[in-house]
Amino acid sequence: MHMADALVAPAVAGTMYVCSAAAMTYSIKKVHLEVDTKKIPVMGVMGAFVFAAQMINFTIPGTGSSGHLCGGMMLSAILGPFAGFLTMIGVLLVQCLLFADGGLLALGANIWNMAFYGCFIGGMVIWRMIMKNGMSKKKIMAASVLGCILTLQLGAFSVTLETLASGITELPFAVFAGTMQPIHLAIGLVEGLITSAVLCFIYDARPELLWMYQKKERGKLSYKGTVGALACAALAVGGLLSLAASSNPDGLEWSMEKVSGTTELSASGTIHQAAQKIQELTAFLPDYSFKGSEGAVGTSVSGIVGAVIVAALCIVICICIRNIRKKKVK
Amino acid sequence: MYCNLYLYKEHKEEESEVAVGKIREAIYGIHHMDETASKDRWMQNLHPLAKLLTAFVYIFVVVSFDKYDLPGLAVMGLYLFVLFFFGKFSLFRAVRQMKVILAVSAAVGIANPFLDHSVWMEAGGFVITGGMISMITLMLKGIYAVLESYLLIVSTSIEEICYALQCLKIPKTFITVILLIYRYMIVLLKEAERIMLAYEMRAPGQKGVHWKAWGSLAGQLLLRSIDRAQIVYESMMLRGYDGTFRLIRKKENTAQSLVYGIGWILIFLLYRCFCEYLR
Amino acid sequence: MQTIEISHLSFAYGDEPVLSDVCFQAEGEETIGIIGANGVGKSTLLKIIVGILPEYQGSLKICGMEAERKNLAQIREKTGYVFQDSESQLFMSNVYEDVAFAPRNYGYPEEEVRRRTERALDMVHIKDLQEKQIYRLSGGQKKLASIATILSTNPEIILLDEPSVALDPKNRRNLIRILKELPGMKIIASHDLDMVWDTCSRTILMSDGRIIADGNTKELLTKQDLLEAHGLELPMFVAGQQSMQQKK
Repeated sequence: MHMADALVAPAVAGTMYVCSAAAMTYSIKKVHLEVDTKKIPVMGVMGAFVFAAQMINFTIPGTGSSGHLCGGMMLSAILGPFAGFLTMIGVLLVQCLLFADGGLLALGANIWNMAFYGCFIGGMVIWRMIMKNGMSKKKIMAASVLGCILTLQLGAFSVTLETLASGITELPFAVFAGTMQPIHLAIGLVEGLITSAVLCFIYDARPELLWMYQKKERGKLSYKGTVGALACAALAVGGLLSLAASSNPDGLEWSMEKVSGTTELSASGTIHQAAQKIQELTAFLPDYSFKGSEGAVGTSVSGIVGAVIVAALCIVICICIRNIRKKKVK
Repeated sequence: MYCNLYLYKEHKEEESEVAVGKIREAIYGIHHMDETASKDRWMQNLHPLAKLLTAFVYIFVVVSFDKYDLPGLAVMGLYLFVLFFFGKFSLFRAVRQMKVILAVSAAVGIANPFLDHSVWMEAGGFVITGGMISMITLMLKGIYAVLESYLLIVSTSIEEICYALQCLKIPKTFITVILLIYRYMIVLLKEAERIMLAYEMRAPGQKGVHWKAWGSLAGQLLLRSIDRAQIVYESMMLRGYDGTFRLIRKKENTAQSLVYGIGWILIFLLYRCFCEYLR
Repeated sequence: MQTIEISHLSFAYGDEPVLSDVCFQAEGEETIGIIGANGVGKSTLLKIIVGILPEYQGSLKICGMEAERKNLAQIREKTGYVFQDSESQLFMSNVYEDVAFAPRNYGYPEEEVRRRTERALDMVHIKDLQEKQIYRLSGGQKKLASIATILSTNPEIILLDEPSVALDPKNRRNLIRILKELPGMKIIASHDLDMVWDTCSRTILMSDGRIIADGNTKELLTKQDLLEAHGLELPMFVAGQQSMQQKK
């Protein structure tokens, strides 16, 4: 799911960098690595483990193909979401700077699509909620599968949105989402099963290594959890909508027709376009990326994108306010 | 008997050494990068921050071109030729090493010609549509970005990149994590290779790990990794570790790096603006 | 003043006793071999000396300092511990950086760091490997590099945990030669009795977490009954000599 540089427009890449950097700064504050120095080598070696584990092919029974381990979910189940997130960033950074896997410019987007959802939605929301009242193998299984499916759906959906928002492909939203989501549903299921197999093994051998094993934090869902759950719900609804849209053949045909009959290009090559491009650099959604923006699909796309932006902004603002408050208390 | 074994092994290599081969390839890739990055040449000796920022701005400018601006984009390729030529890197080697990523980046726009039929040019009965042009620009963007990333990583070691990140005020604790990931990645890759080899030798003809062994195979590796982390921590503690690694750069050529970085970045930005106002 | 003074030291991992009532003293530039079968507590003893395992009973003094939290940093600068697994000990990416790690952390100026690093590399004769990536070293080179990493702080006591494990005969001989050249006190935990015979003047035999015998290497390692009673065998060299004598 690594996005290449060519898939993102500068504005989108920048926005995703800002989002990921905010989440990273917050995580660094939360882990207290300066105090908990012991965590650093564990993070480093676990990051290396994710690399190695991704090289192992796990055969999927009944098919000829094979699956891989889901890094984000795995790391947060062992290190907790914040340290897991930072480790995952490290992994993505090394992949980008050693194997050119995932672009330099797209790194922000890749961190968001893979590490953020995996660690915060999969780890902080799902794993934590399921493990709140004690741990068992069934719960580990449920959390891993659910977590992987959901995080991959969110990740795939974000890839679709980011690509479309960048105006890269001529593919209409419904087609793109309609291919991305079901594929990643299958991948998520397999990755979830592999991850749960590994975590169950750890649970048998050394359960104290798992996050939330001893700490049984009872009581209401925390403030962060609530924000996370809300964002998660919003995105899940978006994802479901996209699935519904893709399964509707009329919508699909309609958008295809719309796209093929487009005449928007006549304005290109003029000064008008140059001015427009400057505008695009500042606006999040360049106009030309949604050919059917006046139609129903386009509207819903814009709606979902809007919801995501608002949700992301809310999270960022909440984090800022919280940090300012904390500093005042200190 | 020996003959049989030999034949059997041949057969097996075809069938199943997928994972092992993949791991070995990854390790060779890292070896090659390391070797090239540690050579004593002008490109390698530049300050890593200059190279990182130049690469970043280059990719930024490349992807910012309009999807139909083929001529504008084509000129950006000159930079890559200049660096490959004067930096003495092999373009052939780069393409071979990056073949999968290049193919994926190039394939992104493959659907465009079928979706965008706006006519751009007619030459002797042959129609060039907007979709074709946008497909080519998209491919070029992908290829440029991958090649530029390649140039960055073969000329700069991870330690140097980390030094650049330190200059960018990325927290040192996080940089330490990256360095440890890099160091133990190879150790664990080799360990995974041994595990997979041991597995494949006893499970001939299987393409991957059977589901019954999913948990224990990767789980064992994980437990061993965590034990290793404990020893690494102890070893660090015994040598006065306080949470961060101290990165020190030995090469000194600030002036050259400044000229390189600022020069290229100015050229990119000026060209981009020039392109914009020409039309 | 004794360099190491251990009296009535006991240690347990959870409920499992590992060391019980260990007493010994050492001074000067002795080289001491700690021998015993697998799992008798040799490594644990070394780890307690360098302060990795603080939850022990009894008393432990290193260079006249009580092994307490406040002295820990000083004790660690005076001791150097070479782990059995070099791969885990060498965590930086190249040899020079790894050897320079400790002096940098102790706050020496870069000039002094370089001097110490180069001297340490020289002492184990791997100066030509300093720019090499760790993962490209051979097993023997890794072992020497991990010894160099602790030499850069000029330790008074060097502790080695199974240094000859996984080395080929030539590398092993090379290691023995280098160990003999190193200054300071050396404590070698090993079940490679031939190496102990070659390098150590004094030997301590451990079994079940206790010290069974403590004395001159040449005397101790020729007592076949004693060694065999505690899961060890005569060093090859000694066994060979004895069989020669029997033939005569």
